[in-house]
Amino acid sequence: MAGVTFSRVRKEFAGFLAVEGLDLTIEEGEFVSLLGPSGCGKTTTLRMLAGLEFPTSGEIRIGDRLVNDVPPGQRDIAMVFQSYALYPHMTVGRNMEYPLKKRGLPKAERKAKVAKAADMLQLTELLDRKPSQLSGGQQQRVALGRALVRDPQVFLLDEPLSNLDAKLRGYMRAELVELHARLGRTMVYVTHDQLEAMTMSNRIAIMLAGDLQQFAPPQEVYRRPANRFVASFIGTPSMNLIDGQLSRSDAGWHFTSPGLTLPVPALRDSAKAGDACLGVRPEHVHLGHGDLQAKVQLVEQTGHENIVVLDVAGGNRLTGRTPSSQVPQMSEAINYRIDSDQVHVFGPGDTGARLNADG
Amino acid sequence: MSRSPQALLERRYARLGLLLIAPTIVVFCAVIVYPLLAAIYLSLFQLYTPTLEGSFVGISNYRDLLARGEFWISLRNTLVWTVGTLSLQIVLGIGMALMLHQAVWFRSLARSLILFPYFVSTVVAVLVWRWLFNDLYGILNHMLIGSGVVDMPVDYLGSMPNAMISMILVGAWKYFPFVVIAVLARLQTIPDALYEAARIDGAGPIARFFDVTLPQLRDVLVVIILLRAIWDFKEFDLIFLLTGGGPVISTQTLPLLVYKEAFALNQMGMAAAYAVVMMAIMLVFMIVYIRQTREKEAS
Repeated sequence: MAGVTFSRVRKEFAGFLAVEGLDLTIEEGEFVSLLGPSGCGKTTTLRMLAGLEFPTSGEIRIGDRLVNDVPPGQRDIAMVFQSYALYPHMTVGRNMEYPLKKRGLPKAERKAKVAKAADMLQLTELLDRKPSQLSGGQQQRVALGRALVRDPQVFLLDEPLSNLDAKLRGYMRAELVELHARLGRTMVYVTHDQLEAMTMSNRIAIMLAGDLQQFAPPQEVYRRPANRFVASFIGTPSMNLIDGQLSRSDAGWHFTSPGLTLPVPALRDSAKAGDACLGVRPEHVHLGHGDLQAKVQLVEQTGHENIVVLDVAGGNRLTGRTPSSQVPQMSEAINYRIDSDQVHVFGPGDTGARLNADG
Repeated sequence: MSRSPQALLERRYARLGLLLIAPTIVVFCAVIVYPLLAAIYLSLFQLYTPTLEGSFVGISNYRDLLARGEFWISLRNTLVWTVGTLSLQIVLGIGMALMLHQAVWFRSLARSLILFPYFVSTVVAVLVWRWLFNDLYGILNHMLIGSGVVDMPVDYLGSMPNAMISMILVGAWKYFPFVVIAVLARLQTIPDALYEAARIDGAGPIARFFDVTLPQLRDVLVVIILLRAIWDFKEFDLIFLLTGGGPVISTQTLPLLVYKEAFALNQMGMAAAYAVVMMAIMLVFMIVYIRQTREKEAS
């Protein structure tokens, strides 16, 4: 078993900076998700770890071994591709056996390993089929099986669930978590789906435009997002972000925006009065009581709760949540209050840092 | 008994369908079925070409032909030529396609240049090659003697096995671009992820060729090999112009034999018999080809 270390890794493609000075240490046996929007560098990072791309500068280590110049086949990694990349002319059994064959394992040992992996993934019945005869979910499991037979130091997964339907995706998420628990191997998982990252990972690395924004456990990322981008990217519905001004008085810090003045929790010493952004999770906007007034713009009933979009003073919009029993009417005037202990304050700009003192 | 409107409509559609395919059927009958039947009919006669007069001889033309050494020599030549030139076309074609598939700066230029031999008229190409091969003024001999590889001019077309080898080489040069184009088109559709998966699975470049590229090319190669086998088997102009079947009949293939019987020896009936036998042999290729395409459609 081994962890993975990226030190000042930089990757440039003909004039385009894909990854910028990445420092990331993944512990042995950890499940880490690389999360971010398209083009954020998460797939490039994974491909550099796989050896399919070479870093322009910096060092990548698997365990203690520097792997910058090691070809993919000798890195002791296995990868599951988004498209599965199963060899179409080989049966399921031969697909799974292939990496073992290339490593010169004797036939009996190969068969035993394939049988074991097939059993673990419920593929035994399908070993003689061709990939084209399988459903998407089955192909996905074969791709996983081909990675599994190798018993590699590190598993790399490149959006493996994105081609599955929602129900199967939920099922496979649980399967992967269980598999990780059983194998205890380091897994690096690339996704643009924050739900996958939140539910499966020990830690999430959130990237934007080649830059690492935050690397922390899911709850930490949710409760204390490092900056405005992370705050907006994590959570559904996403955090309310309101631009305004920060000011300080004897009573403490205050946030002001047209129609809204709110005391905010303690901020860091580095916090300065001036432009800022207030972040409020929808669950901290309480509807039906309080002294603030708004008009209901939209109600989305999801079944177990309602998502309510409010038009508030100053042209801002706020999203709140109500239990399924409390359904506000469209265009209704409603009272609300913001839980000021739970708000986040960010510096100006799209990636303005979080200023709360608890971070 | 009254007909339902649907049945009437279906009948009308069926009639329209027949009408639409009728022109194709008529042309097909005129240019394929009639000549085919006429050739079989002619092969049962002893005929003098200029007058087409003669007498019915039944299957004696076929009996004669099978007893003649010249038929068997020509058949052997045809097979040697077909297998030789086809194998070279395939090997060269795949090799060149793999090279052009790599990202090289001259790729687009090379791709158009590579088609040149296929596009140039056979007559022009063969004349150029005959000049290159010429034992007195040919540039090949000039270069070989100049560089000291040989001290006597090589007779490329007038002796065996040189003539057959030269013919096979020129055939390969002329027709390998067809293989390049077909293989290249297929190569471009193989997903990169397959190669990346193979690299991670520990496959080197050679293993990747045999385990990823070649299986993916299999279908297109079967079609290319069958089509080119049929075309090479009945190749006439290139051989006729390059060696004329010589020296003596050492490079005479079946199409040349048919031509010789029909127009040099004026034996139209015998020529027709040869042609029918050729067709029977090509039918084997045809059946394989049809079965292959049908299987592919079924899957």
